Amino acid sequence: MSVTPANHKFATRTIDVAEFFKIVLLSLFTLLWLVPVFAAFITSFRTMDDITLRGFWSWPEALSVTNFIKAWGAARVGKYLLNSFIITLPSLAGMIFLSSLAAYALARFRFKGNMLVYFTFVAGTMLPFQILMLPVFRLTNTLGLYDTYGALILIHTAFQLGFCTFVLRNFMRTIPQDIMDAARVDGCGEFRIYWQIVLPLTVPSLAALATLEFTWVFNDYLWAIILLRSDALRPVTAGLATLRGQYNTDWPVITAGALLATIPTLFVFVFLQRYFIQGLTLGSGK
Amino acid sequence: MTLSIMKQGRWTPFLYLLPALVIMFIFIIYPMANTFVLSFMDKTGTQSAAVDCMPGEPCWGVLENYRYALTSSDMLTALRNNASWLLLMVPGTVLAGLFFAVLADRVRYEALAKSIIFMPMAISFIGAGIIWRFVFALESGGGQQIGILNAIIVGLGGQPVAWLSTPAINNYALMVVGVWLWSGFCMTILSAAIKAVPTEILEAARVDGANEWDVFIQIMLPMIMPTIVVVTTTMVINVLKIFDIVYVMTGGNFGTEVIANRMFNLIVTDTGRSMAIAIILVLLTVPIMIFNMVRFRQQEAMR
Repeated sequence: MSVTPANHKFATRTIDVAEFFKIVLLSLFTLLWLVPVFAAFITSFRTMDDITLRGFWSWPEALSVTNFIKAWGAARVGKYLLNSFIITLPSLAGMIFLSSLAAYALARFRFKGNMLVYFTFVAGTMLPFQILMLPVFRLTNTLGLYDTYGALILIHTAFQLGFCTFVLRNFMRTIPQDIMDAARVDGCGEFRIYWQIVLPLTVPSLAALATLEFTWVFNDYLWAIILLRSDALRPVTAGLATLRGQYNTDWPVITAGALLATIPTLFVFVFLQRYFIQGLTLGSGK
Repeated sequence: MTLSIMKQGRWTPFLYLLPALVIMFIFIIYPMANTFVLSFMDKTGTQSAAVDCMPGEPCWGVLENYRYALTSSDMLTALRNNASWLLLMVPGTVLAGLFFAVLADRVRYEALAKSIIFMPMAISFIGAGIIWRFVFALESGGGQQIGILNAIIVGLGGQPVAWLSTPAINNYALMVVGVWLWSGFCMTILSAAIKAVPTEILEAARVDGANEWDVFIQIMLPMIMPTIVVVTTTMVINVLKIFDIVYVMTGGNFGTEVIANRMFNLIVTDTGRSMAIAIILVLLTVPIMIFNMVRFRQQEAMR
């Protein structure tokens, strides 16, 4: 009997060593991952002179939030952020509503061409949309949408419909058919089944999609520079690029701007991470 | 799973599909056809590409833009760069993702560590470009080094390096940013797959005397292989269309151009060539699309 406790003790100690080793390794990598962000964070509180004179690794002379105030106001990051929301939120509403309708049709109705339409949506998730930039630019010009919020909203909606429909369709197929059959027997119309039964049951994956798509649309840069010309309409990504030209020598201000611009998506990421990850997992077609 | 036949008009499903299909037709299908047609036209998109042919020089007639897209030295550089992105960044992100997923699995602080690795996913490419300038920045005028890497090198007595403008290393520097941005994505998906492996199976193997490495290689790996395939194909597509990192950090200068940047740079000056490059890019994604379609079809059949 006297051997067992010692053995036991030994066993738990080796496990601890293994875990300790893992934690050390993991800490090293996470620190490595944080280095660029940390560098930017520190810089945004310093002045350009302080850094150029004394170098990056010097102890900061003084820390202040002046750069953030300047970035928010004079450099218009506050205004750009508002534009990002004006573009992102309607795009989200549009893509989620329209794709939930399409997904309902694909998941619940049996009809000729169901698979064909479904695979068209799936193909749409993989197409590199940049290849459409010139025709889309010309199209928005013809439609009188060039240089409006509407152009970006429509484009983001159109481009994300494939992915959203794909995810929602697969989720809706897991809802038991009996629920809908029961409603039908009770004389519930098809649209009411969609709106009052299926949609509420789909809320978890709607939330997952919304957080994922929020980040994607909010962080879009390419389409913002292709479809907008006015500085007043620019979302924060395009705005930051403009800042880079204007404040080229004042890194701390640009960096403060970049950090401010990251707050909304970081907020979504920190507080809705569970949904974000769920969205990614659903989207990978599992 | 069989769908019970419901009372429905023949056109009812299309009523639900119509809004999505109309928008996708206008903003995806029609522009797609447009891209295709323009790829056979000249610079201005008004006449056949064949007018650009010079007497005495090679000419592919109406396919002249494709001759540029497949044989010009600019495009060969871009294609070669994209190939090295594929060869290095896809395995880089998938292996790093797998490594983090396994390392963090059931370890204290797992959630925190994974959040940090995953965090770059929430940052825009523009933001990442600005943040990473501090890592690669070079002060060549003799002043203090602002960039972290060069500050370290100089601190150790070395010579500062022009990370982003030296052709032999700048592509790798950009790929490091890519790995930083995308490893978290791979880790997240792979981690979910690892958690789904029943612990009883792993325990049974351990009881039978298998060591951790054997358990991983012979049991875990085969079980998460389908997910590794999913993550890999997704990354292949992401890397084929890579644009922002290069555009933001080097603008495609110093030999860092990739396919999408070449297309973007020609969009104003030569629409024909730009659109031919676009079609090449689509054709490169087609094998992955077909592969995924087949996979989804099999999944459908199993349901």
